[in-house]
Amino acid sequence: MLVLGIETSCDETSAALVADGTTVLSSVIATQLDLLRKYGGVVPEIAARRHTELIGYVIKEALETAGKSLDDVEAVAVTSKQGLIGCLLVGVAAAKSISYARGVPLIGVHHIEGHIFANRLSNPGMPVPHVCLTVSGGHTMLLYVEEDCKYELLGTTLDDAAGEAFDKIAKFLGLDFPGGPVIDKLSKQGNNKAFRFPRPMIRSRTLDFSFSGLKTSVINMLKERVARSEVLPLADIAASFQEAVVDVLVARTMRAAEEQGVAAVSVTGGVSANSRLREVFQEICKKKKIDVFFPKLSLCTDNAAMIAAAGYARMRMGEISDLRLNVFPNVPLEG
Amino acid sequence: MIVLGIDTSGYANAVGVVDGDRVLADFTYEAKTDSLEQIVANIDSTLRSAGLGLENVQGIGVGRGPGSWTGIRVGVTVGKMLAFSTGKPVAGVSTLQALAYGARRESSLICAIIRVGTGDAVYAALYRSENGTVNRTGEYYVGDVKGLTGMITGPAVLAGDGAQVYARTLKQESGLKVKAVEARPGGAAVACLAAQRLERGENDDVLSLTPLYLKESTAKAFVNKYKSSHT
Repeated sequence: MLVLGIETSCDETSAALVADGTTVLSSVIATQLDLLRKYGGVVPEIAARRHTELIGYVIKEALETAGKSLDDVEAVAVTSKQGLIGCLLVGVAAAKSISYARGVPLIGVHHIEGHIFANRLSNPGMPVPHVCLTVSGGHTMLLYVEEDCKYELLGTTLDDAAGEAFDKIAKFLGLDFPGGPVIDKLSKQGNNKAFRFPRPMIRSRTLDFSFSGLKTSVINMLKERVARSEVLPLADIAASFQEAVVDVLVARTMRAAEEQGVAAVSVTGGVSANSRLREVFQEICKKKKIDVFFPKLSLCTDNAAMIAAAGYARMRMGEISDLRLNVFPNVPLEG
Repeated sequence: MIVLGIDTSGYANAVGVVDGDRVLADFTYEAKTDSLEQIVANIDSTLRSAGLGLENVQGIGVGRGPGSWTGIRVGVTVGKMLAFSTGKPVAGVSTLQALAYGARRESSLICAIIRVGTGDAVYAALYRSENGTVNRTGEYYVGDVKGLTGMITGPAVLAGDGAQVYARTLKQESGLKVKAVEARPGGAAVACLAAQRLERGENDDVLSLTPLYLKESTAKAFVNKYKSSHT
């Protein structure tokens, strides 16, 4: 079954064609990086305008790249939950129009479930149950995945998302946007033990996260050094900050895996592309004899292929949306 | 030519179907913040009420605004993706023109006015009624309603949600005969104007069709202002 996926929840306009929930025939992503750099982040109104301009082109290109036409599309899946409301509604308006005009089923998908399916697309053999860490610029969550589409929330961030902390620290260091890839690259030239930043909540009894204290600690240190007119060792600061985030993410995930008694963990979302995070997870999981799974790099950040895969799974469970499908910017993941 | 027209730019949303200038169905409803939820289902029910299906439609007309930014994104996206999915031609129409079209028999000069938020700012344009249609004379206007005075050059009617509110002010300020008429953005009006364009072969490019915002987003305006004051 051929599913057209559409994703416009934040700053990427994306469309993809996925066959049977497993084979990605095309995945087109139009980023708004030029706008993000200009404004130092996502401006909802500007992002929504860009989605409206690009949505048709992106869908057309996804069809052409896959060598398919709308005649071949058997269902349309779209991100309808979790994201910026003005952005989400462009994708949903497009999806329901196609669904109505072509007489094919419409499936509204939760953005975070999409990220979970990015891992399923990349690793068809990934076992269930497992513990999933999903971490991006918009969220940081630990989930117990009993089976595909069946989750229990174990922990979430109480303030900033991890990716958001990367962006903000990068901005403070005068680095480019988005902060994740830039700090990752710069950290390779730095000493990650040069500064000892706090690891918030690393030993907390809950499985929640907090990154705002870490962020403040880094920023205070920077301000003190600037006040003393000291040269800032950017690479060392970046590497030490990144190490603190990675330590927290890995420790919390391993603790969740231990508590749940699972033999596998999966890591997904934009931050799962971070090379140091992958390295540390692999080292520790090897020691503890736990399997660890990451999405392909192309499926880490927001993309419509993961939405098509999640939509396919939901449709197989009989979950189909009607033409009144609306958007929900902030709702928990159900299932 | 059977044309479907939609407009989701305001508090009231509209869907209509026409055959040339003959109205087959015209449905206006309060959408408030539910444009996205209601529009496609209401397109379907409006077509059915005329005994038609989407397959009978030969062209699609879309109200591009100005109006609610969120609303016009919904309408334009639905209009262009319906056209893309069916291969039918699409024509964008200004919501101000659709308002003026509804008042075309009232006067030879029509000023369409849509309020921006709750203050005295308006989107407006002046239209001349001729040969069964309305044609814009001059530029679109965005700003305080009093700035409109100079634009109105003769006796005119006002159409739109700002018409009743500002008729007295504009009459006093301009010293001209100005009166408000009842006119809401209509799906059938959008469809009629779109049909006229499509019959002349003036299709819009399906993929590049965008809303008529008339105003930059606040962030962009801020950055531009900052740049111009720092160069």
